[in-house]
Amino acid sequence: MNVSKILPYKKQTLKSFFTFEFTALNILMFWLTIGLVTTMLWGIGAYLVQGHHAYGVTRQHAWGLLIAMYVFFVVSSTGLCIMSSLGHVFNIKSFQIIGKRAIIGAIITILTGFAVIAFEIGHPVRMVIYNVLTPGLTSAIWWMGTLYGMYLFFIILEFLFLNNDNHKYSKIFGLAGLVVGLAAHSNLGAVFGFLVARPIANGVFFPLYFILSAMVTGSYLLFLIYGWRYKMDFPPEVEKFMVTLAQVLGLLLAILMFFEIWRALTAIYGDMPERGDIARHMITSKRFLIGEVLLGMLIPFAIIVVSKGRAIKAMVYASITGMVGIFWMRYDLVDDTQLAPMLPLKIREYLPAPGLTEYTPTSVEWMISIGAIGLAFVMYYAADKFFDLDHKTTI
Amino acid sequence: MARYGMALDYKNCINCKACESACKEQNGILLGADYHRIWVGVREIEGIFPNLSIGSSSFEPSQCQQCDNAPCQEVCPTNATYYDGNGVVRVNPDQCILCTYCMQACPYDARYVDDRTTTVDKCNFCSDTRLIQGETTTACQATCPTKVRIFGDLDDPDSEISKVLRDREYRKLKEHLGTRPKLFYLT
Amino acid sequence: MQTEISRRRFLQGTAALTVVSVSSAAALLIKKEKKHAIAEYGLEKTKWSEHLEEIPTLCEMCVNKCAAIARVEEGVVTKLNPNPLFPKSKNMLCARGNAGIQALYDPDRLKYPLIRVGKRGEGRFKRVTWDEAYEHIKEKMVKILDEEKDNRSTIGFCAGEGMAEHTYASFMKEKIGSSNFVNHSSICLATTIAGYTLTLGGYGQADLENAEYVIMAGANRAEAIVTPDTMDIFKRTRAGGAKLVVIDPRFTNTAAHADTWLPIEVGTDLAFVLALSYVVITEERYNKRFTQENMSDFEAYKKHIIDHHYTPEWAEKITGIKAAEIYKIARDFMAHAPRSIYYQGRRTAWSQQDYQLRRAQAIFTAMGGGIDQKGGIIFGKKLPLGEHAINSPSYDNAKERIEKNKAAVIGASGSWLAWRNTVIDGTAPYPVRAFFAYKQNPMLSVPNTKKTKEMLQKMDLVVVIDTMPSDTVMMADVILPESLYLEREDPVKTFGGAEPSIALRKKVVEAKYDTKPVIEIMRGLGEKLSKPLFEISKKYDEALLEEIAERGEKVVYKEEGYDLAEGYRHSQETINHHQVASVYGEEAWKILREKGVFYPDMDRYFKQKSVNEYQYYPEHKKYYSVIEGDLINEPYHDTCVDTEEIAVLKKDFRTATKKIACALYNLEKKKGVDAMPTWREELYTPTPKGKFKFITGRHAQFTQSGTANNALLLDLLPQNHLWINKHIAEEKGIGLGDSVEVTSSIGTIEITAYPTEKIAENVVFFIHGFGAESSELTLAHHRGANDNLIIEDQYEKTFGSAAMHETIVEIRRV
Ligand SMILES: Nc1nc2c(c(=O)[nH]1)N[C@H]1C(S)=C(S)[C@@H](COP(=O)(O)OP(=O)(O)OC[C@H]3O[C@@H](n4cnc5c(=O)[nH]c(N)nc54)[C@H](O)[C@@H]3O)O[C@H]1N2
Ligand SMILES: Nc1nc2c(c(=O)[nH]1)N[C@H]1C(S)=C(S)[C@@H](COP(=O)(O)OP(=O)(O)OC[C@H]3O[C@@H](n4cnc5c(=O)[nH]c(N)nc54)[C@H](O)[C@@H]3O)O[C@H]1N2
Ligand code: SF4
Ligand code: SF4
Ligand code: SF4
Ligand code: SF4
Ligand code: SF4
Ligand SMILES: [Mo]
Repeated sequence: MNVSKILPYKKQTLKSFFTFEFTALNILMFWLTIGLVTTMLWGIGAYLVQGHHAYGVTRQHAWGLLIAMYVFFVVSSTGLCIMSSLGHVFNIKSFQIIGKRAIIGAIITILTGFAVIAFEIGHPVRMVIYNVLTPGLTSAIWWMGTLYGMYLFFIILEFLFLNNDNHKYSKIFGLAGLVVGLAAHSNLGAVFGFLVARPIANGVFFPLYFILSAMVTGSYLLFLIYGWRYKMDFPPEVEKFMVTLAQVLGLLLAILMFFEIWRALTAIYGDMPERGDIARHMITSKRFLIGEVLLGMLIPFAIIVVSKGRAIKAMVYASITGMVGIFWMRYDLVDDTQLAPMLPLKIREYLPAPGLTEYTPTSVEWMISIGAIGLAFVMYYAADKFFDLDHKTTI
Repeated sequence: MARYGMALDYKNCINCKACESACKEQNGILLGADYHRIWVGVREIEGIFPNLSIGSSSFEPSQCQQCDNAPCQEVCPTNATYYDGNGVVRVNPDQCILCTYCMQACPYDARYVDDRTTTVDKCNFCSDTRLIQGETTTACQATCPTKVRIFGDLDDPDSEISKVLRDREYRKLKEHLGTRPKLFYLT
Repeated sequence: MQTEISRRRFLQGTAALTVVSVSSAAALLIKKEKKHAIAEYGLEKTKWSEHLEEIPTLCEMCVNKCAAIARVEEGVVTKLNPNPLFPKSKNMLCARGNAGIQALYDPDRLKYPLIRVGKRGEGRFKRVTWDEAYEHIKEKMVKILDEEKDNRSTIGFCAGEGMAEHTYASFMKEKIGSSNFVNHSSICLATTIAGYTLTLGGYGQADLENAEYVIMAGANRAEAIVTPDTMDIFKRTRAGGAKLVVIDPRFTNTAAHADTWLPIEVGTDLAFVLALSYVVITEERYNKRFTQENMSDFEAYKKHIIDHHYTPEWAEKITGIKAAEIYKIARDFMAHAPRSIYYQGRRTAWSQQDYQLRRAQAIFTAMGGGIDQKGGIIFGKKLPLGEHAINSPSYDNAKERIEKNKAAVIGASGSWLAWRNTVIDGTAPYPVRAFFAYKQNPMLSVPNTKKTKEMLQKMDLVVVIDTMPSDTVMMADVILPESLYLEREDPVKTFGGAEPSIALRKKVVEAKYDTKPVIEIMRGLGEKLSKPLFEISKKYDEALLEEIAERGEKVVYKEEGYDLAEGYRHSQETINHHQVASVYGEEAWKILREKGVFYPDMDRYFKQKSVNEYQYYPEHKKYYSVIEGDLINEPYHDTCVDTEEIAVLKKDFRTATKKIACALYNLEKKKGVDAMPTWREELYTPTPKGKFKFITGRHAQFTQSGTANNALLLDLLPQNHLWINKHIAEEKGIGLGDSVEVTSSIGTIEITAYPTEKIAENVVFFIHGFGAESSELTLAHHRGANDNLIIEDQYEKTFGSAAMHETIVEIRRV
């Protein structure tokens, strides 16, 4: 059987695979990627030796940076999937150019996400077995995991068909991927939202917020992907698409900010224990104000508003701050959920009464999490080498 | 088949930690405060010397609440956490994938990671170490000097715990969360 | 068998075990380098096993001797459970009792006899056989006794409290023949035992199961566990039927159960009790009938109290306790009398006025009538045991104890401080040249460790019988390892009280190492020493020579008890069998061995009352009132109705006058001891401004210095901390976990601080028992601080009991 029949790909020799234009930017990216991947491998090595003790996680704060990073990646994936579907599933004209590049991006980010969480789940192999043998149907994690598995399957098929220019099937699987992805994604929100123990997370907010922030993330990533692809020298149809994207993003950011404000207000209102206090702590933290609000929302939003969406080059740069902001959103999501100690009494003498739970990621966690970005880069580079990810001018 | 619960006459607790020691010995718990399937919470006294409010200081022995509607069970993706025939919430270590979701879900901080099996564990009313051998008390109960703990079958109207719960007032922890705990704090 | 340790001790190496409680703030307070060890320990689950045995025994993790049932799986003790049959321990084992398994499998245990090879105290020893060890001791003893002309008292010895203490002490005292014995008494409870015994005819037992009003002053039953007191009282505090007043400069876990907690200036309790007495006397709230019938010199006592103007207002200035509180407590106490107790207390080695304080307490309780009465201080009954007599030779050249005149009354168990200081200060009438220690760790348990060390350095021979390489063991020339309590049968013991019983410590598992129970050690020593020491007596003891001339050497040797091993030759089991069966019959012996506990009619009386509680004796069979007396027949008085029925009984208390003694004129005349409790300002140490009085005490999870290496217990509390008042700490810039230096006139220690509202501003405290120097104690070594490095060696002058709370210290942040 001929692979290229099912999945047409560009033949590469080892040499051609490693050949790229020696621009300063490319060389920088090359070393950055090597650096990141090495860092991740180093981190993984440390984890394999020490287990969870290599992490800063504790009984009270059992989820740490890796979970945040997992969420970061899978939200990125869903975001890319949603945004791309705007074009080839919902036939929004100016978005139709983004198909393949976005889908491969979605595949890569979710694979990276899975790679990260594999080092957080204590027994990933056992997980695969018992997810099937004894499914926990009331568990948001089970649904999220299962649905994301299906989602990955669908978007891979979507990519396959896109690559074969089979638009009928790509559309079907695209739609399937989107629906399952949305379901998976809201379940990811529900992983937190279902926690009755944690009033700050508990409720309907997260499932909705996750979809919205996914779209924002997807938009930022599209800016970055296309900024990189065209090295800021955009063909007209791409430029047109990016202006539209900026305008859509502006709208999404506006809604997101609206959401956040109401979330904070409702959380603080009434001063419910383990919610009001946590919310207050949360919205006054530097991570929130600088990370989430300034980098993640205000800077890109300001550029869009001021330029009416036309400053697309600036938006490419703003998407970097945007993604940093998104990272802190994920970090805060995980961290804030666990801030209130479930056991507020001290259980050992000669200690102060427990305050908010403290967590600082260890270097190993940083290595695996940030290093994983390198993994995504590698996959993207390879995809770019093997596949033709550009749109055909006519569809 | 029974439905086991525990009533705690917690005002008699002197924070001697016999219960914690007994549990560790009986159930083979790793040493270290983080491996806690049972603990005594201390409420720090209020006031300024010498005007301290005696009433504000209390010792609150606790452990897994054996919720009838256990969030930890609900969120477990592999059903590693399950209700046994006696209504005891238990963990099957072979099935646990160490996702620690149950630790997020438990409102009482009643679960910990056992570093030897790298799975999540918790109080199981000594089901596999005592009840299975026909004992009718848990290790923490039997050893307690001031007899804080009354363990028994809630379904049996003649059991002491049923009687005590009929005769005395009690509260349950974080009851508003709908967890339906089976630890009863006698007041 | 070698696998047993590793079953219980999971060594570092598996990566997962390397770090414990990474986050737990506990780690913050432990110095970094000490974080290692406890994490290496993990316990193993008990499991079902074909070879499961359940063997009754008695706990020896502290003085209480709770009844336990050891669960033994394939020769390994996997769990210790409470034995519900024992009325004294009432179906409980505390944290330390549970941790007995760790003591048994502690890899640091003494495993075989050792002889010192380096300099004394240097810690270098070589393994020897028991015979070599005995031989070494023999050579040294022969030399010493020869040079000291058979003055047996040149061999000093000490013992800690324990079931076999008597086996050892009788050997040293009766067989070896030395008068120089010291034990825990003078560093523990001598003053309260004496105070109560001289006043009431016995120390008694506080009937906390039935008392309605209890004053616990300087007794911390929630943390210093004493059975059955701890169990009895806290089931009934917090509106459970017993009102509890706690007088303590610290807010203890006992205070947390109190209705009233009043901090007091350290060392002023006597003024408090005198003022209580003043109120009761001036307001005539005492039980008139009882005082009249049963107290001698009560009128004189009344006059004494009134004449001295021991008013609450006077006491307020001294004690810091408001006069109004004193009035209230005095009145409430008498309103609940006779079910009111001023609790005797246990460790009362505090201040110069301790003995008189205990007398005042006893008299105060008696004024309410609550003596030998349900709900008061009762004497109960003790079930007799058959005799095990020892035939003791008399040594003509043995002298009186060296510190005999260092205090008014020095009893047979001596004054540790006076004795030790006499050894080193050159005032001893003759030298003490050898020292034997059994189950005691004076390096840590006697105030002024430096002097204890100096005393041990002076000796020609130091022999220590212990289970762990304690600081005292490290000072030894010969180390004799005793088997752990779970590995031996000890002398059967009878426990008195309202519900008396006999309990047995049976061997649970075979000795793991080359160790022996003390009876076998005494036998071995006896066999080795008898002949050579007899030869020395023959050289110097003229009385003996006369005897021999008269009756022949063989006969004298045998009949006068010069065979030192005689009396220790039978197995402990045989002796116990005799002691029980001779009084209660074979059936009783069988029950005792099977169940661990025996008392007459146990089969009929013992019943489970609830899931946790048991009946030992039916109420009417309990021995509340045991003192014989006359019913005074007065027609108008109905004994069945009057709750103060005791008033009509005229009892024969076990004092000289057969009455409760308000005044002890004899002691005054002969020894200059105040006949009646009198506040002596000159005996009180005030605390200068800016300095602190140092106090010491217990923690619920440790037994003095003996459990400091126990992994399970250290897991609950890794070290001791200095309690210091929060505001004072703030002024000094001392925060939680900061290192501080505590300096007294005799030394300086460093410890981490615990600023808290729970202690008075001019007092600091830390838990006794930490800070071992011995590097052989892997976990205890240099963990926390040793209080006896800073506690001055003051002792009170009535009984020579240590006055541990008279030391003034300064605090400095480091
Ligand atoms: N500063 C200060 N000093 C104190 C006190 C205080 O509160 N503060 N408390 C005082 C009081 S109340 C007391 S009772 C004394 C207690 O003082 P000690 O009688 O010295 O008791 P421990 O400190 O427990 O030391 C007991 C020793 O016995 C050993 N041991 C344990 N079990 C056995 C056994 O089965 N056989 C043998 N042979 N040895 C064994 C232990 O290893 C340890 O070395 O200390 C007194 N000293
Ligand atoms: N867990 C545990 N239990 C034990 C022991 C153990 O080591 N551990 N040891 C056993 C032994 S041998 C003994 S002797 C007993 C000791 O039992 P206790 O004598 O009850 O205990 P301590 O802690 O020595 O002292 C009691 C209290 O006296 C307070 N105090 C100090 N100075 C003064 C004062 O001037 N006035 C007043 N009113 N209070 C003062 C202290 O703050 C302390 O809380 O415990 C026995 N039980
Ligand atoms: S054993 Fe009983 S008294 Fe002691 S800490 Fe536990 S519950 Fe409290
Ligand atoms: S207390 Fe926590 S661990 Fe126990 S059953 Fe409830 S939710 Fe589960
Ligand atoms: S950690 Fe184990 S027991 Fe807990 S939810 Fe995950 S699989 Fe279930
Ligand atoms: S019931 Fe058993 S497992 Fe649960 S805390 Fe008590 S001793 Fe431990
Ligand atoms: S009080 Fe605790 S340590 Fe002492 S004998 Fe009883 S169980 Fe053992
Ligand atoms: Mo003591």
